[in-house]
Amino acid sequence: GTVTDGTNGLPLPGVNVLVKGTTTGTSTDFDGKYTLNVSNGNVLVFSYLGFVTQEVTYNGQNTINIGLVEDASQLDEIVLIGYGTTTVKDATGSVESVTEEDFTRGNIVTADNLISGRVAGVNVTTDGGAPGSGSTIRIRGGSSINASNNPLIIIDGLPITNDNVGGSRGILSSLNPNDIESFSVLKDASATAIYGSRASNGVIIISTKKGRKTFSADIDTQYTFGEIDERIDVLSADEFRDLVNSQPITGATLDTSLLGNANTDWQDEIFRETVSAIHNVTLRGELFKFLPTRFSFGVSRQEGALITSLNERRNLSLSLNPSFFDDHLKVNINANMAFEDNRFADRSQIGQALRYDPTQPVRDGNPFFAGFYQHTVPGNNSLIANGGTNPIFNLLQRNNQGDLNRLFGNINLDYKFHFLPELRAVLNLGYDHSESNTSTFARFATQDVVRGETSFFNQQRVNRSLDGYLNYANDSGDVFDYDVSAGYSYQVFTNDGGFTGNLQDPQTTGDTFADPDIVLIGFWGRLNLDFYDKYLLTLNYRRDGTSRFSEDNQWGNFGGAALAWRLSDEDFLKDSNTISELKLRASVGWNGQQEIGQTDIFLSRLRQGNENSIFQFGNMPVQTLLPSAINPDIKWEETRTIEFGIDYGLFDNRFTGSLNVFQKDSEDLLFAAPVPDGSNFTNNIIQNIGEFRIQGLEFSVNADVFREGEFNWNANFNATLLDRDITSLPFGADIPVGPNPSGTGGNIQLQRQGEAPSSFFVFKQLYDANGAPIEGAYVDLNGDNIINDQDRYIRENPNPNALFGFQSNMTYKNFDFSFNLRASVGGYVYNNVASGNAQYALLQDQSVLGNIPTSVFNTNFQQTSDVVLSDLYVEEASFLRMDNITLGYTFNFEKAIKSIRLWGGVQNAFIITDYSGLDPEVGESGFDSNIFPRTRNFLVGANFKF
Amino acid sequence: CTDDLNITPNDDDTLLTEDAFEDESAYRSLLAGVYANLALTGTEGAENSNLAGIDAGTSQFGRVLLYMQTLAADQMIWSYENDAGTRELQRNIWTPQNPLILGMFSRTMASVSFANNFLRETTAEKLDGRNVSDATRQDIVAYRAEARLLRAMAYYYMMDLFGKAPFITENDPLNFTPPEVSRAELFTFIESELLDIQSDLVAAGQNEYGRADRGVANMILAKIYLNAEVYIGENRYPDCITQCEALLSSGYALADSYLHNFMADNNTNSATSEIIFPIVSDGLTTQNFGPTTVMVNGSVGSLETNGLVVGVTQGGWGGALRVRREFAELFADGIFSQDERNTLIEGVNVPNGVTIVTTPPTPPTPRPVDIVDISNRDTGFILQKYSNVSSDGTPGIDQTFVDTDFPLFRLADVYLMYAEAYLRGGGGSESTALGLLNELRDRANNDEVVESSDLTLDFILDERSRELHWEAHRRQDLIRFNRYTGGNYNWAWKGNGSNGIAIPAHFNVYPIPSLSLASNPELNQNTGY
Repeated sequence: GTVTDGTNGLPLPGVNVLVKGTTTGTSTDFDGKYTLNVSNGNVLVFSYLGFVTQEVTYNGQNTINIGLVEDASQLDEIVLIGYGTTTVKDATGSVESVTEEDFTRGNIVTADNLISGRVAGVNVTTDGGAPGSGSTIRIRGGSSINASNNPLIIIDGLPITNDNVGGSRGILSSLNPNDIESFSVLKDASATAIYGSRASNGVIIISTKKGRKTFSADIDTQYTFGEIDERIDVLSADEFRDLVNSQPITGATLDTSLLGNANTDWQDEIFRETVSAIHNVTLRGELFKFLPTRFSFGVSRQEGALITSLNERRNLSLSLNPSFFDDHLKVNINANMAFEDNRFADRSQIGQALRYDPTQPVRDGNPFFAGFYQHTVPGNNSLIANGGTNPIFNLLQRNNQGDLNRLFGNINLDYKFHFLPELRAVLNLGYDHSESNTSTFARFATQDVVRGETSFFNQQRVNRSLDGYLNYANDSGDVFDYDVSAGYSYQVFTNDGGFTGNLQDPQTTGDTFADPDIVLIGFWGRLNLDFYDKYLLTLNYRRDGTSRFSEDNQWGNFGGAALAWRLSDEDFLKDSNTISELKLRASVGWNGQQEIGQTDIFLSRLRQGNENSIFQFGNMPVQTLLPSAINPDIKWEETRTIEFGIDYGLFDNRFTGSLNVFQKDSEDLLFAAPVPDGSNFTNNIIQNIGEFRIQGLEFSVNADVFREGEFNWNANFNATLLDRDITSLPFGADIPVGPNPSGTGGNIQLQRQGEAPSSFFVFKQLYDANGAPIEGAYVDLNGDNIINDQDRYIRENPNPNALFGFQSNMTYKNFDFSFNLRASVGGYVYNNVASGNAQYALLQDQSVLGNIPTSVFNTNFQQTSDVVLSDLYVEEASFLRMDNITLGYTFNFEKAIKSIRLWGGVQNAFIITDYSGLDPEVGESGFDSNIFPRTRNFLVGANFKF
Repeated sequence: CTDDLNITPNDDDTLLTEDAFEDESAYRSLLAGVYANLALTGTEGAENSNLAGIDAGTSQFGRVLLYMQTLAADQMIWSYENDAGTRELQRNIWTPQNPLILGMFSRTMASVSFANNFLRETTAEKLDGRNVSDATRQDIVAYRAEARLLRAMAYYYMMDLFGKAPFITENDPLNFTPPEVSRAELFTFIESELLDIQSDLVAAGQNEYGRADRGVANMILAKIYLNAEVYIGENRYPDCITQCEALLSSGYALADSYLHNFMADNNTNSATSEIIFPIVSDGLTTQNFGPTTVMVNGSVGSLETNGLVVGVTQGGWGGALRVRREFAELFADGIFSQDERNTLIEGVNVPNGVTIVTTPPTPPTPRPVDIVDISNRDTGFILQKYSNVSSDGTPGIDQTFVDTDFPLFRLADVYLMYAEAYLRGGGGSESTALGLLNELRDRANNDEVVESSDLTLDFILDERSRELHWEAHRRQDLIRFNRYTGGNYNWAWKGNGSNGIAIPAHFNVYPIPSLSLASNPELNQNTGY
């Protein structure tokens, strides 16, 4: 027979055809054809990922042709959970799977782009548009304050580290998104508890594409043309001349003779239009008639909008997936090589470009500075002190490159016992090795004319893991099924490297570094019970050990329980036309957290001072030894999550989705908190102290608005509401945190009991009768007639209260059209571009003039130091962004080329926001300080299938 | 393989404490660590700190001490009030949240911690257990006395600045919550410790440069006795005289030139005979944003850009530091125009002939003495006291981090203390007092002789400012003379007014920083805060 896609009649290769209740089966070939020997009465099961499984009883037909219907509800979709799989139908926890067909389409440079805005409760943010840069991923807002909030990311069973290596743009940057088959996001604690100590921030399981028996080849190619259409509004050269001539500074006179005659828009000079490209070749097929194989090669070259910024990547991926002994032993071998080459552009030059005098030319022919203009002392080539340097010159003359070579992969052996096929033994060995080399060459150092820079840095991280488990599954009975697993997990991470220091500076020397090994060991077990297919129970337990704590504290016990009730299978709902699926879920789970930066803080250690931190006795250097801060009692941070959820399907599963409410309570926070002075070798150390609560609500709906005929429309909407509160702080004391807005030693944020983390801590601005802010005048909140620290108050925080994602995919005949929108509501940003620059006094510093943002006209402020802590710089940063729009057309052929899809699109098409700065999406910090601007990208691409 | 969980450090710069002492030189290094806490802020360079809640560079001991004692008084203004805590500090409107006060409190108590740790690691029992050689044991006798001296010095600053301290010694375990002790208890402890260690300390002036000796113990004793009325309400001036006399007869001598004390080579030039205890700084090996780095870079004028003159980058820190009117007026009298201690620069009119090489060569306007707007760096005089240039004219090795050591204690202070203690009835002789004061003037190239009729307490206070300005003494002096709080003496920007406003008496001690208070339930906030 032939298996086709019911909607378009195209043959479906790789469909599993199985005789029900046996292990006999086959899969369809390239043309969708299959052959199978069967007997009368056998039931054939046709299953294919993303399509509704169909069953046909064999009654002597010669051929059975099947048109599979795309599975809108995807209730039977396989979902990866920790150490195993389940289906959407049987899942007891909040587990959401995003597979290839649901991936965001458009400009997909790094893996996280695939799921941005796609999953309720998952927030993927970047802090700007640096090419190929990684993202911050937060599931349900994290769970910690000072320890890690990163989810555990597992690639084909190998948990990877969240720590980047120097020279790379991020831990996911070296992955080829084209090699990814699915993401599975584990959100609730009963699902994540199987990863115990590492899963309090959720888990993302990434599965890469595997080999198939039938041959196929794909070529993808894409070009991206980017431009920045927004600029920070600073004065044009003419406006600048007018303003300087108007002498707007009280008490000081601007030296108008310093004005030049040029008209330079420094932002135009440092930013460029970009051309980027991604090419992928994928081959799948069976080698030597037994070895299903997938091989892919990908090349990506991304230009950054800031001149000289570049990200290049080459990926090789090989997946071998043979099975032996009648499929009793399945072997999956995945090997990936990534070569990432970056040239980093000094981002601080964006700030420099805002400030550099617009009346001066880019070049004035001065050979001492390679023809570039610089503020020099008249008559010689020394730079004017503290005057800043030409940003174009700085970008061009400094070459900072990072090359990363990464090899990662795993070998997975899955053996089904011959004498007891219900019992499986699974062994997974993983390896991840990143080695990077970074070099910096500069003719001049930024602030020092005499000395340039030549320096090298190398680093290598190695991550080895071993996981083994036994699984016994009994799903024969209709009344009572169970599935039990138990396993062991071992992982070790190492990190070391060295740097040379500046070889042109005789005073600096290099050094090597080596972190303590991080060793994580776990023993775990899971039991799934299923009564009548209606009542589901999952119990998890994990005992975890970490090398981050002392012998007395290094073991912790974690676990979870989840109950689910498939209401729609009860008699009273079985025949409902409205409700086709209804499942109630409840779960509770305990996770741990041990990921703190300092991995040997429990040990009594002495640290040698580096080459600049030694002492002198008798004018001779003496090596210093300082005892390091020590907390021998440090132990696990624990998070308890309680969740209630509903999974629903309406109108024959035309609408499906979930509604979850949850509460996460973290206690014994790994919190950097004060210690009594004199009692330790610091005044602040990571301790288990404080409590943190996150409450949230998630809603998702997946709608097949149209799913029959030539027009199909699938839409997905998800919403997340989050409330984050520090319920208890060490000693109830406020702890200043966050970036320094100006000068040294300041913090713009605060941790305060009863407030959200990292709340902005500012003065309340006073305004005159006309509503104009009065410089340096604030409300005396405590009424003591002095404006000092005690008059600062909390105004908002960077975390959005609500996140929304909307994705739409339409097809009409051979056309496809999709877009995705993402919104963030209720987050605030401190506008440091305005607070640190928009003051008249900055027009001249000594004998150099400098530009300022035009927002100075809104405030007429004179001095930065008077105003930098004003609450008027804390701005609402809610936004709605159109991330990607794509339109494609597919040509189908019956020849060697099966199909060609041509497509075009726009990334970052528009954003709607009230935020006055360049872009409200500045990353988790909520601190806008010269963001690397995001380009608007126009995309064209082609996909060839063979 | 669950034993793999028990890891040890892999980095060659980190040693397990139990392993470190296999090499006996570790004791000297550990002692260097106790000293280094006064000069360095951590082990990884000047921008790294083992303290939190304060900018790393600012957390240097001498830096915060300078801020507490000098910036918070009438000699100095910091231009960049967006540097957290500086505004409240120099305008005397500080609160317990001030990061600089936290830095002072935490850094000083860290000295206590490091000293205690040294003492714990060098008990006879530990040394026996490690089979330490006799030679090293011999050295350790003095090392231990020095650790106790540095601890006493830390408590001295706690007593002076905060009027109390959390109290912890080597007999308490690590992570012990120290109880609060009063000013009087601290006084007793400091006094008894300093007297107790005398015999174990190296004789005054005989130790290696950079290490403390008996002279430092005498110096701290002299200071607590001189200020005993403030600290414990007792007249201890005779004891002060005794300590001063001990110092005067210890072989110290004034440097050939006043400015030698503040130069890049003050660790080798004639100042070594005058400096009783330096905070060591080196542009290469001991880099820090300490008081000398700050004062050399900071005193480079915004108009003058005289950085090259003082051995740093031409622009320095763009005019970060200036002086207040009241200080400038101490040198206004013509008799100080040639006084070496007068390094004021008033714009184009350079009174004492300091040559300023600037491009453009002349500032457009002379500097007004008044600072009406603190952020206007072109107003107020600048001061060129500290320099990163050696006495032979060679600049220091680095253009930011200076080689200049900070003279925490020096002989000139002893001279002035003697004269003051004499005046306050502590004994001694008038002729000695006058002789000492005139020696200072003479050394400063000032031939105006101080006569018996000049010898008043007010004169001493002014002369101390002329001699010891920007050396972290001023607040203590003003308090001892009852000129700090209240309205007896209002200097520019005191109490947040450009002409000065009275401040309440509780500002005579600093508040316990809120984070320190929170983390230690044994501590009580100082009255008034």
